[in-house]
Amino acid sequence: MKSSLASRTLLTLLVALIVLVYGFPYAFLVSTSLKSPQDALAIPPTLLPQQLSLENYANIGEHPTVQRSFGNSAIIALLSTVITIALAVPAAYAVARYGAWAGKAFLFVVLITRLIPPVAVGIPLFVIMRALGLIDTHLGVALAHSTISVPLGIWLLASFMESIPRELEEAARVDGCSRFGALLRIIIPVASGGIAVTAIFVFLASWNEFLFSLLLSSTGVKTAPIAIAEFKTQYSIQWGTMTSLAVLFSFPVIIFSLLMQKRIIAGLTVGAVKG
Amino acid sequence: MIKLTDRRFVLLLLAPAGCFLVIFVAYPLLLLLRNSFYEVSLYALNDGVYVGWDNFVKALSSPRVRESAGRTLNYTLIALSAEFVLGFGAALLFNALGKRSEILRTIFAFPLMIPPIVAGLLWRFMLIDNIGIVNHILETLGIIGDASDISWLGDRDLVLFSVALPNIWLTTSFVALVLYTGLQNIPAELIEAAKIDGANNWQRFHRVTVPLLRPVIAVVLILRGIDAARAFDMIWIQTEGGPRFASEILSIHIYRAMIRYGNVGEASAIATLFMLGMVLASALAFYVIWGRGSSQS
Repeated sequence: MKSSLASRTLLTLLVALIVLVYGFPYAFLVSTSLKSPQDALAIPPTLLPQQLSLENYANIGEHPTVQRSFGNSAIIALLSTVITIALAVPAAYAVARYGAWAGKAFLFVVLITRLIPPVAVGIPLFVIMRALGLIDTHLGVALAHSTISVPLGIWLLASFMESIPRELEEAARVDGCSRFGALLRIIIPVASGGIAVTAIFVFLASWNEFLFSLLLSSTGVKTAPIAIAEFKTQYSIQWGTMTSLAVLFSFPVIIFSLLMQKRIIAGLTVGAVKG
Repeated sequence: MIKLTDRRFVLLLLAPAGCFLVIFVAYPLLLLLRNSFYEVSLYALNDGVYVGWDNFVKALSSPRVRESAGRTLNYTLIALSAEFVLGFGAALLFNALGKRSEILRTIFAFPLMIPPIVAGLLWRFMLIDNIGIVNHILETLGIIGDASDISWLGDRDLVLFSVALPNIWLTTSFVALVLYTGLQNIPAELIEAAKIDGANNWQRFHRVTVPLLRPVIAVVLILRGIDAARAFDMIWIQTEGGPRFASEILSIHIYRAMIRYGNVGEASAIATLFMLGMVLASALAFYVIWGRGSSQS
């Protein structure tokens, strides 16, 4: 028994060490952002700031385009979330409840959309958006982002809805509720947890997306990833400011993830494990 | 009023998403296919001259396209094998720890949430030759003599591996957590039964765990393989495909051909071929890993 306890402790320590090494890069990013701009480039680099400084964050103030880009990213991500949820909830309900053919067809579509390199459909989307007058608009970029999240959303939501017992709607229907009524009053409230997780996924997918934003937005609605990427080429490399931007950009992602840690992991794994 | 049958109701539910997917996914794919057969300029995207299979011939005979395809394959293999080995290892360790691994798993899940562009930037920063922390650590450990000995992003032989690092870092946790969930779903009685039958650790792993995990492994490998092959932003932010194309994988080559050089037609042909290749590779992977597994059992 004693040796098993010792080996367990050893194993825990080993895993803890691995996890520490794994988490190191991000900790180093945060640490660097809190150094002074000169210290951020010191030779040799230090692990911790010699002196805590918010100068890197203050420097962002000199770049209004970059600041605006965060607002653009937020608007686009919200729009994309609304579009995706509005389209995916009814479709997921149909897939989960009525007929296997629809479910299979949609899973096939999901697989296909995952195979499409964004760079391949970038130009065609540009042509379509231009015809619709949506180039360099929040809605245009949001629609492009939704091409990725609608299939994903349908897949995730369908797996959440499948776990809701059919008896709930059947009881409502017997009580005189219409089909739409059952969806609105029974399914959506019961699946609200799953819908929230899906919404967060969609929001983050749009927040992080790079290539469509690069192709479909110019000065007007430039998103944060693009502004950060251009920041590099435009002003040589100010690594200090760059690290503070990277920290700020990952901030919403981390807040959302910490809030819904378990559900996010469950959501990420549910599709894969259920196959 | 038309009676709302089940069938009509389903169609009504599917229609909005269906229309959206037709306009913004299916139609762009058709346009891509059309462009592959035309000579199209970036400045007159709606026009173009029909050139038959010319674009495909050009794409297939271009050494640069072939090299990019090879690099895409190499990059995918590097990222995928590292993620799979590390992720599987971590999943097994977590599984051995059982419930006590919860906090560690939570921390381990963290890179999962980091935006790819941040990961790319961060690794670019850490890999700078003289001031980067990676070379500094290697120097301190005595592995390299001087902090400028390894030029991670400047060495053409090394760069493909270096640009895979953020990808590996970012997604090993995904692989680990999915495989961990899969491991947790294996009934403990099966492992116990094998133990009673006298199977040793390796036999239990090889004969019970891996076969039962096969569907999960298949899904993880295919999903991650596709994502790695399509990678764009992480490499773009690190090297933009350089030095001298040494990290130019297909998606970067296509982007460049389209936007920088304006060869929309040829770039579309390469993209079409790229997608066909991915469909075939996924189908093959699916068949080999999953199909063969289920016919055995």
